[in-house]
Amino acid sequence: MLKEKEVIIIGGGAAGLAAAVACQEKGIEDILIIERNAYLGGILNQCIHDGFGLEKFNSSLSGPEYAQKYIDQVKEKKIPFLLDSMVIDLSTQKEVTVINRQGLQHYRAKVIILAMGCRERTRGAISIPGTRPAGIYTAGVAQELINLKNYMVGQKIVILGSGDIGMIMARRLTLEGAEVVLVAEKLPYSSGLPRNINQCLYDFDIPLLLNHTVIDIKGNGRLSEVTLAEVGKRGGIIPKSKRKVACDTLLLSVGLIPENELSRQAGIVLSLITAGPEVDERGQTNVPGIFACGNVLQVHDIVDNVSLEAEYITEGILDYLQGRISESQEIKMTLGAGLRYVVPQKIFTIKDTIFSFRVNQPGKKKTLVFEEDQKLIKKKYFPRVNPAEMLRVKLSSSELKDINKLKVKLV
Amino acid sequence: MERKFVCIICPNSCQIKVEYENKTIKKIIGAQCPKGEAFVKNEIANPLRVFVGSVKVTNGNFKLVSVKTPIPIPKKYLKHIGKLTHSLEVEAPVAIGQTIALNLLNEKIDLVATRKVNKIIN
Amino acid sequence: MKITNNHYDVVIIGGGVVGCAIARELSKYKTSIAVLEKEDDVGWGISCRNSGVVHAGFNYKSGTLRAQLCVEGNQSFAKLCQELDVPYKKIGKVVVAQKKEEIRELKKLKAQGEKNKVEGLQIIDSAELKRLEPNVKGIAALYSPETAITSPYLLTIALAENALRNGVSFFLNTKVKNIVKLKNSDFRINTNKGEFTSSYVINSAGLYSDKVAHMVEKDKYRIYPCRGEYHVLDKNASWIINRLIYPVPKAGTGGLGVHFTPTIDKNILIGPSNEYIKQKDNLSTTSQIMKLLSTETQKFLPLISSRDIIRSYSGIRAKQAPPSEGGYWDFVIEESNSVNNFINLIGIESPGLASAQPIAKRVVEIINKKEKLSPNSNFNPLRKGILRFEEQDKATQKALIEKDPDYGEIICRCEKVTKKEILEAIDNPLGVKDLISIKYRSRAMMGRCQGGYCLTRIIELLREKYHLNPQDITLKGEHSSLLTGYRSDEVKIC
Repeated sequence: MLKEKEVIIIGGGAAGLAAAVACQEKGIEDILIIERNAYLGGILNQCIHDGFGLEKFNSSLSGPEYAQKYIDQVKEKKIPFLLDSMVIDLSTQKEVTVINRQGLQHYRAKVIILAMGCRERTRGAISIPGTRPAGIYTAGVAQELINLKNYMVGQKIVILGSGDIGMIMARRLTLEGAEVVLVAEKLPYSSGLPRNINQCLYDFDIPLLLNHTVIDIKGNGRLSEVTLAEVGKRGGIIPKSKRKVACDTLLLSVGLIPENELSRQAGIVLSLITAGPEVDERGQTNVPGIFACGNVLQVHDIVDNVSLEAEYITEGILDYLQGRISESQEIKMTLGAGLRYVVPQKIFTIKDTIFSFRVNQPGKKKTLVFEEDQKLIKKKYFPRVNPAEMLRVKLSSSELKDINKLKVKLV
Repeated sequence: MERKFVCIICPNSCQIKVEYENKTIKKIIGAQCPKGEAFVKNEIANPLRVFVGSVKVTNGNFKLVSVKTPIPIPKKYLKHIGKLTHSLEVEAPVAIGQTIALNLLNEKIDLVATRKVNKIIN
Repeated sequence: MKITNNHYDVVIIGGGVVGCAIARELSKYKTSIAVLEKEDDVGWGISCRNSGVVHAGFNYKSGTLRAQLCVEGNQSFAKLCQELDVPYKKIGKVVVAQKKEEIRELKKLKAQGEKNKVEGLQIIDSAELKRLEPNVKGIAALYSPETAITSPYLLTIALAENALRNGVSFFLNTKVKNIVKLKNSDFRINTNKGEFTSSYVINSAGLYSDKVAHMVEKDKYRIYPCRGEYHVLDKNASWIINRLIYPVPKAGTGGLGVHFTPTIDKNILIGPSNEYIKQKDNLSTTSQIMKLLSTETQKFLPLISSRDIIRSYSGIRAKQAPPSEGGYWDFVIEESNSVNNFINLIGIESPGLASAQPIAKRVVEIINKKEKLSPNSNFNPLRKGILRFEEQDKATQKALIEKDPDYGEIICRCEKVTKKEILEAIDNPLGVKDLISIKYRSRAMMGRCQGGYCLTRIIELLREKYHLNPQDITLKGEHSSLLTGYRSDEVKIC
């Protein structure tokens, strides 16, 4: 039996919860959140450090506190949700198959919001040579084991990758009594936020070795040693720099990948750069009525931006449900120097639009320039840019009016 | 002595250089606002941090409740407090903001819960 | 626990695919059989680290045991897999020539195959190759429709479980230290778990078969370890090939060349390389070989990208041919000339998987000639594996959840493995508790996130079932604890 819904939200984490609340506030009544865990809040539940909510709530919250703000609203507004329920099929017709202990349930929705979040890149994906002993974890798995399950993963730890979770875990493990030997980062700059380098590593005298990577892993049962080496300017290993570091644990914080297996099933076009769906100014994918927000769309560094993005796309969802989307000519977007990507990738209608960017490399005193041919549309100055920090810029409908082409660059 | 700091107060992440001797500051370069200057002064004199950690919960829908110090504490105590959390235990239910421990190390360091934990009935 | 006074008619040393096949074959007769395996589980040596190919038999010199047993094994493999509920797919194989001079080699292989009685071999031109495998670069190919794939570890486990059910005793974690031929002509086998005695010993110790042989007969054989590294690709890349894609083998090397294997589970394997190494247990992967695998991939299948790689691993061949010579020596399957009732299986490398069953039959023949074994009328050839929820149609899935709600909980999201399947894997007949054994049996943790989602859940299920302390959860064998304990002090075991 096919159950009809107005809006189905796949994923009850930061993005899904914010989208649900915002939909409801816009008068959409018939919503269903589908969450695979036994609780709402997603990954925020294991992010017990503070620093969340500075923008949304003007205070520094832990992950669970931040999530609870939305969970309370979902419950207050009586928005229906399913727990311990996993979506196993999603079709272009917006049909959803859900599995849980009660059986298989089939739904069809007018709008689907993809809010499945992301997963961690693993050792296998980055092909670190060596043996395959116990003691190699992605930072998020270690975080779950420690913060939710009360287990300790190891005592002498090397961290590869200076993503935020990796640095947060360096502090966490130190405070739990383990020795974090070092954090190695392959790039010449950290891929995490500067304040985390400060308060998670330098506070505890944990060295951050830039231009360094792990090139070998030893240990038959449990990990016993990794080989560290310096990466040269052209990306090769500098042979003389090789050194062995004894450790029982290697944590990997080497990137997050938007989790788009369901999106693929539904025929959604994915960007090769963000690994998330290509979306338009409303957050709509190439499949009409399927929208995406949060880490499934693009990996964020700050949860507040996830919530804002989720709230933002509900404007377009309302337009869609009320039949107000009339697609005009696509505005051609091109990416100029200095930028890795821009979301949305496409613009069909003129409305106030939030653009998200990531830059290619760190820089100072940079200006983001929007232009049509040589004509300046808008520019925004940034005293400092960093690939770890997403840039967000809003263009108003008046600024976008009468544009046929839009080029963005960083100068 | 000279030290470089990244200010952790706001997302601007100002890179601030401080010249100092013992604990007397001679020069601060790079702070874009007074908060940044205050931050580095504190960093030299008595750096403060919020502690976050976990405490065991019995009969809860989570095994652990996350906790934090309601105000920043001297950095030097962070590891001690971490160790102390290993022997604490609290009974579910737990509400956000609930006090979990008081006056740890006799230094007026308190811990409050930052997760809601429901009681489960076996 | 010390085991004493353990007498068996036959003791099989080594629980690989061949040892387990022999155990099962022997259990068709009234004999008492023990399998001694040094690891925590069967199949952890060569048997779980190969391409999982059921070779047709055209690669091997006519008249050799390898050729003969491979063809025999290939032809009876479907039936074996059916009896044991093990996946099997006859997908066929192409050996691809990229240079004109390689076409001559293809013709030689075809002629050799036909002499070995391999059916259906054809030389195909580039147009036909394009039709069969649109993404493969080549000018001609030898097409072998009889080549198949299976799951090598599931087969080994299935053989062991069926043997167990038919009365074979399995002693895991049992390492043979020495063997003494007693005056009454029995063998005494000393192990870390105590003494065994037996009338027959079957040396099926794979990489260590030379060492085991040496225990009764000095320096008769030598095994050279020859490592092969693999990459495993994401299922999203599975559309790129339809069959096994092989290069034309180069003479004098230890393997068949880097090839592309669609697995039963819809991944693609790239590899193996071949490299003689010093230590028999050095399962490292190396950056040099990873580079080589990429180069070879670019030659044949430029559509495959390094982004598709989800894991790398290596296996080790048990070669008799020394590094200076390379190539292949024939399988040794024989009773020792000087030590009665001691049967050696030496140099069982590729096509050992395809040949496992015929090898087992040979071994039983050797014993039968001397003992006139009487058939075991209770022998049951059938074994049921773990039902794969994901492979069922929607109606069956619904019925399964209704019958047992544990089917309604997906624990491994990538491979869509349910809690029920994981519980069955945890509760396996051999009683193995290592995480890797649960992985082999259930497929959980084998997908693109490599356990990122399900690992913690599986740890909890495993602890619940066996009442384990956190530090007793092992990845693979001794000293492979995943956790060092509780984060905070806790004495209670759940």
